Amino acid sequence: MQDSGLWVVADFFAHDYRISGRVHVRYSKLPAQLNDTNTSFLQLEDAYVSNILRPGDIVASYTTAILDKRHITAIVVARQEDGLLKEYTYGSYLGTYLHRVFVTVPSFEIRGHLRLSSRMDLRTVLTTGTDNFVVILDGEMKAAVRPDVTFSGGAILLNKEYIGAFCVEKGEE
Amino acid sequence: MAKILLIDDDSEFLDMINLVIRRGGHETVLSADGPDGLAKALADPPDLAVIDVMMPDMTGYEVVRKLRANPATASLPIIILTARGQPVDRQAALEAGADDYMSKPVTMAELYERVKVLLAKGTSAGGSLLKGSLVMLSLRGGVGVTTLAVNLAATLAQAGDKAACLVDLCSSSGHAALQLGLRPDPNWSGLVGVGGFDVTAIDAHLLQHSSGLHLLASPIFPFVGRQGISRPMAQTMLNILQQEFSVVVVDAPSVLDEATAAAVEVASVVGLVVTAEAPSIQAAVGTLRALKRWLPKFHVILNQVSPGPQPPVKAIEQTLRRPVVGVIPFDSAQVQALAQGSPLALSDPESVMAQAVRGLAGKLAQGVAAGQ
Repeated sequence: MQDSGLWVVADFFAHDYRISGRVHVRYSKLPAQLNDTNTSFLQLEDAYVSNILRPGDIVASYTTAILDKRHITAIVVARQEDGLLKEYTYGSYLGTYLHRVFVTVPSFEIRGHLRLSSRMDLRTVLTTGTDNFVVILDGEMKAAVRPDVTFSGGAILLNKEYIGAFCVEKGEE
Repeated sequence: MAKILLIDDDSEFLDMINLVIRRGGHETVLSADGPDGLAKALADPPDLAVIDVMMPDMTGYEVVRKLRANPATASLPIIILTARGQPVDRQAALEAGADDYMSKPVTMAELYERVKVLLAKGTSAGGSLLKGSLVMLSLRGGVGVTTLAVNLAATLAQAGDKAACLVDLCSSSGHAALQLGLRPDPNWSGLVGVGGFDVTAIDAHLLQHSSGLHLLASPIFPFVGRQGISRPMAQTMLNILQQEFSVVVVDAPSVLDEATAAAVEVASVVGLVVTAEAPSIQAAVGTLRALKRWLPKFHVILNQVSPGPQPPVKAIEQTLRRPVVGVIPFDSAQVQALAQGSPLALSDPESVMAQAVRGLAGKLAQGVAAGQ
């Protein structure tokens, strides 16, 4: 049932709720599905819902759930490659420049790395259009009002619409 | 050969782990959902259970809580498996009462290693080895040692007649009797200065709670300028009680006096109670250092005595260099329980605290068994 090549398990954050579930990715990777403008929705299987104030407690679980992509604030995936489009995964020639970043979205602050194929241009990074989600690598997401609540993953995908501050450390790695 | 219960709705994963565990020479019982797994565990308690969290109908956490709530499976070693791999999920698993936690994907070799480790220190089927003595201790006052000792003892007393005795060693007005709604008369002060007392003398000083729990209470007035319980007296007292009761729970005072030292020496397991506050952690570090001779007996218990945000368990474990075996979440109902002299373990068994204490009882019972 859970062939790791067909499914990606992820934590989705929307309106102070954490929804854990798996997305079918046989035909399209998770970032591609998020940025697919043909549909506003994302289908999850085996969805488990927690309130962000008690993020370890499961308050509800459903076999299937539909998320409105426009209302997803952030997504945490364990493996970096699950958060990247195929052409950006390791081994590709893209993504030479690695920048340390600090980002805020409602209820959370995120620290991690932004990988770019060219020199940093924040306007390009944050412009919504083709890509609605920006990928932060090796990220840690901390609840703003509960710093003890943290989520970390190989990749954190952030909805550009919800980004409040996007801070970049000087220099690159 | 051990009997291992595997509960997971992922049939492929279940088949794989079944194969690995059977190759290791163990018997397996398979279940594809929580209610069925729970029923199988209660009908014929296994030696260990591996339980997935994310299952339809009943989550793995609920299964663990229900297993901990039943005396037959209260001390069953449990490994929680989950695709939710965040620190909060580990904490949730511990709070539910699991002994170990693994986040998926896991390799079969790694999982089997954990199974072997838990089996090695686990109890026999049915968790019937609740014997010995548990000392609940903190050299920092106000961290809820008495509350935990009372609730633990009340939980363990449910196993049957003479199942548990609580000893309040505090020589400056202990509160165990108060929390049980009992008048501390008689108490151990009647034994002080009596040379060579025996089981009859001790029995004459025990109180019995309606739940079946026995209590050797502390005197209501502090021992000012007088010798309290000496080291030999404490040893004799506890040795006699251990013969008479399946388990003796000691509510130790927040000072390292002779009686406390003797209790630690006699104990099979010491529950070192900490809260997340710095003074409590500092006291715990000092306690572990002062009593390092008995270090293998010590099990750290995190008692969340206030509501709101809590620091990560991992930070406390790193500071103390020991795992936290149990987390007791804050329960606002405890205030009322104190006022009514009725511990939550008895008055509200489904309360958050009572459930956590049951989980803790199981884990400490494993420690008792391992220490024998």
